[in-house]
Amino acid sequence: MAVNLTVNGTRHSVDVAADTPLLWVIRDTLGLTGTKFSCGIAQCGACTVHINGVPMRSCSVPVSAAVGKQVTTIEGLSPDGTHPVQQAWIELDVPQCGYCQSGMIMSVVALLKRTPNPTDAEIDAGVTNACRCSTYHRIRQAIHVAAAKVRAGGRI
Amino acid sequence: MSNNELSRRDVLATGAAATGALVVGFWMPQRANAQTNNPPGAAWSNESAAGEVNAWVVVAPDETVTVRIAQTELGQGVWTSNAMIVAEELQCDWSKVKPQYASANRDAKEMAPAWTLKVPGNGAQDPSGGGEPEFGARDRTGVQGIPDSLYRRMRTNAAASVKDGRYYLQLAGAEARERLLLAAAKTWGVPVAEVSSKNSVITHRPTGRTTTYGKVASLAAQTPHPNPERIRIKPPSEWTLMGTEQKNLDVPLKVSGKAVYGIDVKLPGMKWAAIKSCPVYGGKVKSYDFEKIRREPGVIKAIQFPIPDPKLIRGRIFGGGVAVLADSWYQAKSAIEKMPIEWDAPPENAARNSASIRAALMASLNETGKVAVNVGDCDSAFRGAAKIVEATYSVPYLPRARMEPGNATVLVTDNRVDIWLGDQSPQETRRSCAEITGIPEANVYVHLCHLGGGYGRNGNGPQAEQAIYIANLNRGTPIHLLWTREDDFINTTYRSMGVGRLRAVLDRDGWPIAMEVKTATDVEAPGQNAAFDVAARYFAPNYRFSMHTGRFHIPVGTRRGVGAPAQHFYRESFMDELAHAAGKDPYLYRRELISRTNLPYKADMIKALDMAAEMSGWGKPLPAGTARAIALEERGAEEGHHATVSAVAYTVSVAKSGNVRVERVDIAHDEGFGLVNPLSVKKQLEGQVTWFFNDAINQEVNVGNGRMVENNFDTFPLSRMKDNPPEINIRFFKSGHWLDGMGHDRATSIQSAICDAVFQITKKRYRDLPLRNHDLTWS
Repeated sequence: MAVNLTVNGTRHSVDVAADTPLLWVIRDTLGLTGTKFSCGIAQCGACTVHINGVPMRSCSVPVSAAVGKQVTTIEGLSPDGTHPVQQAWIELDVPQCGYCQSGMIMSVVALLKRTPNPTDAEIDAGVTNACRCSTYHRIRQAIHVAAAKVRAGGRI
Repeated sequence: MSNNELSRRDVLATGAAATGALVVGFWMPQRANAQTNNPPGAAWSNESAAGEVNAWVVVAPDETVTVRIAQTELGQGVWTSNAMIVAEELQCDWSKVKPQYASANRDAKEMAPAWTLKVPGNGAQDPSGGGEPEFGARDRTGVQGIPDSLYRRMRTNAAASVKDGRYYLQLAGAEARERLLLAAAKTWGVPVAEVSSKNSVITHRPTGRTTTYGKVASLAAQTPHPNPERIRIKPPSEWTLMGTEQKNLDVPLKVSGKAVYGIDVKLPGMKWAAIKSCPVYGGKVKSYDFEKIRREPGVIKAIQFPIPDPKLIRGRIFGGGVAVLADSWYQAKSAIEKMPIEWDAPPENAARNSASIRAALMASLNETGKVAVNVGDCDSAFRGAAKIVEATYSVPYLPRARMEPGNATVLVTDNRVDIWLGDQSPQETRRSCAEITGIPEANVYVHLCHLGGGYGRNGNGPQAEQAIYIANLNRGTPIHLLWTREDDFINTTYRSMGVGRLRAVLDRDGWPIAMEVKTATDVEAPGQNAAFDVAARYFAPNYRFSMHTGRFHIPVGTRRGVGAPAQHFYRESFMDELAHAAGKDPYLYRRELISRTNLPYKADMIKALDMAAEMSGWGKPLPAGTARAIALEERGAEEGHHATVSAVAYTVSVAKSGNVRVERVDIAHDEGFGLVNPLSVKKQLEGQVTWFFNDAINQEVNVGNGRMVENNFDTFPLSRMKDNPPEINIRFFKSGHWLDGMGHDRATSIQSAICDAVFQITKKRYRDLPLRNHDLTWS
């Protein structure tokens, strides 16, 4: 069936089953491979995207749930890697293998939209994605750097 | 899907020009016969290129320097550190350096230049030399890296990319530099001794004339070096780029979703494969009913596959299985889950469980075992002993659980195999391609992709062999095989379950008179001699170490740190217990026992302990419910070769509810003669703290009815932000040897440290990991 989707501001009509997870529509049908598959059961967060600004684990969201809403993936965060969170990630050299980082960054962007100046406790509670390389030490520092960039006028 | 259909679509647009960016167009076999170059932007190598000065260095007219990297970037920073090594000697502009994966195909066809074979200098303790890389015992199968093929060691393992590769990467950079200088001198008609270079600019010193690498590269490519065996490498005292903190070159790709992992590969006409393999190792498919799913959306066919040939994967025996091919992976996966499959598993394998394996390992401790070290007379010392301390520790089976599930994309045609994957052992994969298809290795092209985590060797899981088998039966159609998370837990090797029993006789002052160490693992487990072999790290005049084994059906292999995480846990836990029994400070107790040894690097070991203790404020009062613990970590301290020494002090709190939190970590770390990229080392150390925290607290995979029980992140928890210590301090100290890597067996001591802190706070001593199985509450 045809499903109408808006991803990163572009409207698409895709021919997939309505219960297909949004993740696979994004990756396979639309070819946006920055969003990753890892656990398939909404545990790890590697597949995190925004649906109307809310971070969702796209491996466990049927594509039908995104119809009529704005989906944003890592590719839609900025055209050129200049989003304040991406810049903070580069400054702190956060990623190691990097596989979880698209989802991690999407979660952090959502956190900073809700909580522009998070405490460490708010970071612990608000960012529940898993990073197997355990880059958390730099993630935490980079979140604080990104928050400062936003306070200084960075667009989020 | 026919070849004709493929050829009509064989030229697609290429992606972004940034190195490593996703390439959506690939050359197809028909074209590849005539043209072996990759499209621009590919993360993998051009087979050859204009401006190729040597096999590692290509300089383009726009001054871009492409450095070929023969190891896989999986987060350890090898893309950057290996490029730094080459660029240091090349003296090029670092901002113009682009890493690119080396060609495993070319490695099958070309031999290493003779000038790369001889290691300069005098071994691991010579700062001017190339260290002591281990190539002597390595064979041609690629399991250990091939001694004399073009890129030699393409394997990514043992934290040894710098240790083994540094000298010939330095030589490669130096040879390229000298040929660029020769080319400039030839152009100007001046003696080469009058020209020198810096930041890609070549200067004729007497006249001040300049040119650039990009301008002379094509001439340099035609200019052989007259005596490359005389090229010398820079000692650390002359390094200007190596030893500085450089941001990792793959990071911009990884914050924008552009890095290409194996899972991201998409080819024209490609079909997807989902699989089910027998959940009991050694089992195979008895029957399956494809008719039940034939009409499911997108489904093409089912293909049964045998138990992957153990001789291609180091003797490991996985399960046979069945694959379903479909237009999309989600269709294939959804269909195979509905397909009835019956398994035929060996009954003796299906009867095993964690308890029976553990009982067998425990029983093996009562046998003689393989005695590796026997100094003095332990038996006499134990017979007449007044005070014996004994403890038995255990660790569970553990997988690596990398975030990227296993996958490989394979296209087999009549005379060529192409395979795209993240791979820590492309030379082995190349051989598997050839063995399974009958197509010679010279016609096998392994296109390396970034790898979504490694943590101890990715090449001994059979994703490549399964995919090659299926693609070989579907020649002409690219097949992308992708495991589910659950498949990934089945089709991987495990760190063996292990037990360790340590006994010591203490004299009246609490110092060991005798120490006996018995460890038990699966007989195939690597690293059984990690922390106790050759000589005791903590002195006892009578010392015996024996290795005991059982044989089980769980395929065991290397996992981050190999044998060290378990053996460091046993050893350092036991030192805490001995210090407690002796009524002595565990830091000073360790220090004294190290000082009594004749270990070649004991001064470094003591320095590390002193530094970590001092950094942590050792001995200063802590609030109730908080304790400090310290431990030594070493790799290679028993012999005077490469070694890495560190000591770590942990400040740990245990809430009355039993919640454990590591508040602070102070790491004192050996930097040998010098680190290549200290930033990457820091990142590796930080990451390992929380990686091994996971091992201590959370992780285990049990065996039930012959199957691995925990198989996804709901039952096999991963650490999260809240588990990361708020404070991690790292200090380096120089030592008199080259290092033995630091990406895999550091911060292992968080396991013993947490257990000792739990004991200090709760008075409960636990010796079996993970701690989540125990009651840590106190009042």
